[in-house]
Amino acid sequence: MTGWLAENFVSILNGFAIGSLLFILAVGLSLVFGMLDVLNLGHGALYLIGAYVGYQFTGGVSSWTGFLTALAVAALFGLLAGLILSVATRPLVGRGHLDQALLTLGVALVVAEVISIMFGDDVQNVPAPPGLDDSVQVLGNAYPAYRLALIGVGAVLAIVVWLVIEKTSLGALIRASVSDREMVSCLGVDDRKVKAGVFAFGSMLAAVAGVLGGPVYGARTGLDETVLLLALVVVVIGGLGSVRGALIGALVIGQVESLGRALLPDFASFLLFGALALVLVVAPRGLFGSKVGAA
Amino acid sequence: MAQPVLSRRAALGMVGLAGLATAAGCGNSVGGGPSGGSGSSGGGAVKVGLVIPQDGVYTPLGVDLRNGWQLYLDQHEGKLGGYEVETVIADEGEGPDTGVPAIQGLITRDNVDLLVGIVNSASALGSVEAIAAAKKVLVIANAGAIAVTGQARNPYVWRASFTNAQAAFAMGEHLAGQQPEGGVYLMAPDYAAGQETFVAFKEAYVGGGGTIAGEALTPFGTTQDFQPFLSGIPGSGAGATFVFYSGGEAVDYVTQYAEFGLKDTVPLYGSGFLTEGSVLEAQGEAALGIQTALHYSTEIDNAANADFVAAYSDAHGVLPTCFAVQTWDSALVLDLALAEAADLSGDAISDALAGLGEISGSPRGPWVFDGQTPKQIEYLREVQQGDGVLINAVVDELGEYAQ
Repeated sequence: MTGWLAENFVSILNGFAIGSLLFILAVGLSLVFGMLDVLNLGHGALYLIGAYVGYQFTGGVSSWTGFLTALAVAALFGLLAGLILSVATRPLVGRGHLDQALLTLGVALVVAEVISIMFGDDVQNVPAPPGLDDSVQVLGNAYPAYRLALIGVGAVLAIVVWLVIEKTSLGALIRASVSDREMVSCLGVDDRKVKAGVFAFGSMLAAVAGVLGGPVYGARTGLDETVLLLALVVVVIGGLGSVRGALIGALVIGQVESLGRALLPDFASFLLFGALALVLVVAPRGLFGSKVGAA
Repeated sequence: MAQPVLSRRAALGMVGLAGLATAAGCGNSVGGGPSGGSGSSGGGAVKVGLVIPQDGVYTPLGVDLRNGWQLYLDQHEGKLGGYEVETVIADEGEGPDTGVPAIQGLITRDNVDLLVGIVNSASALGSVEAIAAAKKVLVIANAGAIAVTGQARNPYVWRASFTNAQAAFAMGEHLAGQQPEGGVYLMAPDYAAGQETFVAFKEAYVGGGGTIAGEALTPFGTTQDFQPFLSGIPGSGAGATFVFYSGGEAVDYVTQYAEFGLKDTVPLYGSGFLTEGSVLEAQGEAALGIQTALHYSTEIDNAANADFVAAYSDAHGVLPTCFAVQTWDSALVLDLALAEAADLSGDAISDALAGLGEISGSPRGPWVFDGQTPKQIEYLREVQQGDGVLINAVVDELGEYAQ
């Protein structure tokens, strides 16, 4: 057993790093879908914007100023984009998910094309900041320091988001909106503000995930679709509107994509959707889905 | 209509083909009718359909291919074999679903005389039938699947690029000579080009007495993180890794290979696309020291290449790639063939291409058509720090390889 663990230690560690990144990305999608009942297919495009902001401000050179500036700019950009998307999708409330999907997918396509025109189609590398751009020895295996840091950042963010949602009155309001929107409105709360806030916050996290994911996945065209798919799978596995679900879903998919592929390389292409199918059969609402969520 | 055609052909003949002038003129007036209108429309003009990706993952290649083609025309007053060239560009897209209609459109709607381009092998294979039915020559400027000029060969489809097997076979022989301790670990994306690379490498390397330490085919297009596959290498005891990756996957692979500490312990070898063109810039220092085999490098020491690199750099501000050379060479062979061909029919151009013999004046060095695909020198290249940019320095010539 210890031999097996030693052999696959790097893969497990890597699963946590990927899981951290997926959590930061997916928690926004989950809250927006679960609470606002808006299927935001533009979520991947927000990640893409973050990735290219990271590329723009680091300029391919490893630097803390560049990286932190990129994080701040991406966060701001995400907030704004979230507010705009929240306003744009408001008239579509009650018209079903297809209209929302069309609108947000259209926005995503436009964003991807604009980025392609601005930055070209070459793959761009976003270097990790100094000190994290090297490998460290973990139990005798070389492992990129940046990915270790990513696990830490993911853990901190998970705790912060969980505390806000579970332990504050604002969080209570958000949870209440997820489980019963009409009731919250009846209590005299302007749920439009809560909605806009959640949309902005979720979008900000997606853009921030783009910067954070830069040193792992780089910046390239088509990345938006890849991460959107992963985020959707995470949300379906974890259940809608649940922070805990997004965290567990992200960690599961992180391990499936890392440890799973290492153990079963021949089935690498099927593992992701195999896991999804398994969860859908066992728990159709996701592992932590609420019973009254927007199904 | 026939009279001016004849006189222009005769004038053309006086420039270069004095002895053949009469024959060429006759050939055209006789052959012009059945070839179907387009050839006779201008007389001294040839309409070329350039099929290159302008959208999707291959877009950067499409840019290089167009630049190479345009550069040759600019250097030769816009003429090939004496004909004024009109280039019609069609978007190949990512796969045969867009590539094949693009070719059909050029043939039926634009009525081109011949076609150049095609990046994707599936698009090339998918259009072979349409090309054969239209009897128009297609010069493939990239697609490397062996079948294009192998099983699916037809007299009108020529290739001025490479086959997937060439670089892998050359590197297989090279590594068999080196005998890295512990054998070689193989990795490639799980699609036709990756699989052909595996087969060719094993044939050369195992045939030369080498051992395979392990191998992995990674899902094509959906693998961003290679760590799960890289983790098999240290345990296998391999003394070297040989891979085929290109584009975005090449960037991910090379940077992660360095990040996970394998670069310093297990030397990385590859087919040349691993470090070709813009991907090399994105890989940065992680690529230093990687050795690859390819039919071209900007560092090849010959006069044609020196001129080519200088002209291309002046025009576009970056070093040329093997892809740019492939369209430049497509234009070169067509220039030579059209000067010899009796008329612009597919049969005449095919015959002329078949009769070219050794093609000198190419930046990649001398090569010949062997079974309608190049028999050419494979170069052993190593990524080194050049003058401000990373370059693929030529370490050695691995010999000539065909199909």
